[in-house]
Parts: sequence; C-alpha cells; structure tokens
Amino acid sequence: MTDARGLYSHRTERMFDPFFRWVEGSAASVWVNQSPSLFAFPGILAAHTIGLGLLAGLNSALDLRLLGIGRSIPAAAFMRLLPVMWFGLWLNVLSGIALLIAYPTKALTNPLFYLKLGLIAVALALLRAMVGRVRRADPISGATRMLAAASLAAWAATIAAGRFLAYTCTRLTVDLSCR
Amino acid sequence: MIPFQVQLEALLASFNRVETFMETTTHAWGTVESIHFIGLTLLLGSIAAWDLRLLGMMREVPVAAFHRLVPFAVLGFGINIGSGSLFLMTDPDQYVYNPAFHLKMLCVVLAGLNVAVFYVTMFRRVQVLGPGTQPPALARVSGGVSLVLWMTVIVCGRMITFYRPTLCRPGDALGLLADCIVR
Repeated sequence: MTDARGLYSHRTERMFDPFFRWVEGSAASVWVNQSPSLFAFPGILAAHTIGLGLLAGLNSALDLRLLGIGRSIPAAAFMRLLPVMWFGLWLNVLSGIALLIAYPTKALTNPLFYLKLGLIAVALALLRAMVGRVRRADPISGATRMLAAASLAAWAATIAAGRFLAYTCTRLTVDLSCR
Repeated sequence: MIPFQVQLEALLASFNRVETFMETTTHAWGTVESIHFIGLTLLLGSIAAWDLRLLGMMREVPVAAFHRLVPFAVLGFGINIGSGSLFLMTDPDQYVYNPAFHLKMLCVVLAGLNVAVFYVTMFRRVQVLGPGTQPPALARVSGGVSLVLWMTVIVCGRMITFYRPTLCRPGDALGLLADCIVR
C-alpha cells in the first residue's frame, strides 16, 4: 500500500536529514535525550503535561461556562485566569521546543505533528475570539456557544494528536527507526 | 507489602478480556491514553480554578460560584479511574511494582483526604463567602495543598514510564531511548 507517508519519507524527509543530524548532534539535544537527570527528558515531559492541564484545562472550564454550566460564575471572572493560561502556554512552547530539539526527526517527519500544531493554532484563535466576546460583555449567543464547543473539540483533538505522536512515529532519529 | 502486591497483580491479571482487547485492538492503548489525558485536563482545569479562588485570586467572584465546576473535576477523575484501570489490567506488573505509580496513588489518596477534611471542617463557612472576601487561612492552605498534590499526581504519572520495573530506568540511556521515548 502506497500512502502519503511513504512518498513523504522518500523525498522531503531525507532532504532535511543533514539539518536533523546537526540538531541531534548539538549539546542541548544530547543533554535532553541522554542525561540521566530526571530534570532532562522526564522533567520536561512532565512540565509539558502540567502546561497542558493549565492551558487546556482552564480553557475548558471557560468553554463549559459559555456552554451554560456554572451560570452563577460571571464569565468575566475567567479573564482573571488568563495569566495562568498564558503561563501554561509559554511553559509548553518552551518545553515543546526542548522536546523538539531532543528528537527533531521523530516529530518533524510525522504528519501528525503538523496536525497538532494546526489544532493548537485553531484552539488559540477560538480562545482569542471568546475572550473578545467576554470582554465586550456580549450576551452569550448561539455563535459563542459554537466557539466554546469547537474549543473543547480542538483541545481534545490536540491531546489525542499529542498522544498518538508516540505511537505513529516512523523515525526516532536520523539513524534509528521507531520500531 | 510484597504478598499484597503479588495478590493485587494476580487480581488485575485475571481480567483477561481487557488485556486481550488492549493488546489486539489497533490503537487501543493510544486511544485510552488520549482519554486519560483528556480526563486529566478536565480534572486539573476545574480543580485549579477552584483552588486559585481559595488561594485568593478572582475575589470578585463568590466562592460558591466556582463550586459549580466541581462536578467536572469529579467527571475527569471518574474518566481517569476507568481508563487508568484498563492500563493496570493490561500490564499489572508495570504498575504494581513501580515506585512512580506508588507515589502517584499516595498523592491521589492525600488529595482525597484533603478534600474530605475541607468539606467536613470548612465548606459551610467558605461557601457563604461573598464577592471580595479572602477565604480563611486554613481554606487557603487547603487550596494550595490540593493544587500541589494534583500537579504531583500528573508528574508522577509521567514518571511511570521511566520507572517501569522491567523496561527502562532513569540513567539507562539505551533503555530510555528504546522503550521510554517511543512508547
């Protein structure tokens, strides 16, 4: 069976091998993926999960509020939680970059990685739209509820894409395959 | 402790159908893991909003209002007990003899005790706090303890892979590479 990934792996992928090899040979990459310290790969992975819980978790709480649960909470109260969500986002941008530096070939040769980034962009755009509506104190309309439902779906899909990255990779490093 | 672990492992291993399902269905493990992470997100998000209010953030919101999110934390917890049990029934030895899993369960129990103490001793007083009020010191401690414990649960959960008794250990670069990264 010839699939998109098969074609991809023969052309585009090999083209970037020198770049992957350069990243994988860097001191930062070697430290993250080979240091026995729990603060290296395991710690960064754990930080990435905490960031996920804070950003997607609090965003989901806002989504649920906009969908009609907990109406006694003023929607504007969630604006006070935005700094915590931004903290989660930045924690994950930084930890995500560190994980990418550790295993560039693994992520960048997997189409699912780009799907995950796209889903994050969608989820953040939805959050931005919802924040705008809440800040203007718009009454919660059907359109706002659609944004909230889409936001829940986008975060759930992001999480699933992130998990499946570990099971669908074809190449771990330039010289090692995943299985 | 050891006989207990052996018995627990045997009990968990007796769910043969679950093991067969998880091992033979394509992407079963990844799907259940995704559900486990979605549950984690639901749990941490709702709990964090509540804990942060107890700690004194968003004081213009009455405490009782944030209590409306607690059912979602309970839902997330339920999802994760269910999905987590599937992992245990599939590979019991990887959890029963895993120090990261032991610490994770200890923190879950402590978080449960923290919540129980909170409901028994101060919920009534805290619930009636209106907008603009700072919760009593003990309620703030309870919120902080809850936040720290649930985050520790998440960290320990991610450490399970690196403390698996047979597959890979921290410090073992080759084992880490082969089994802990790909899986």
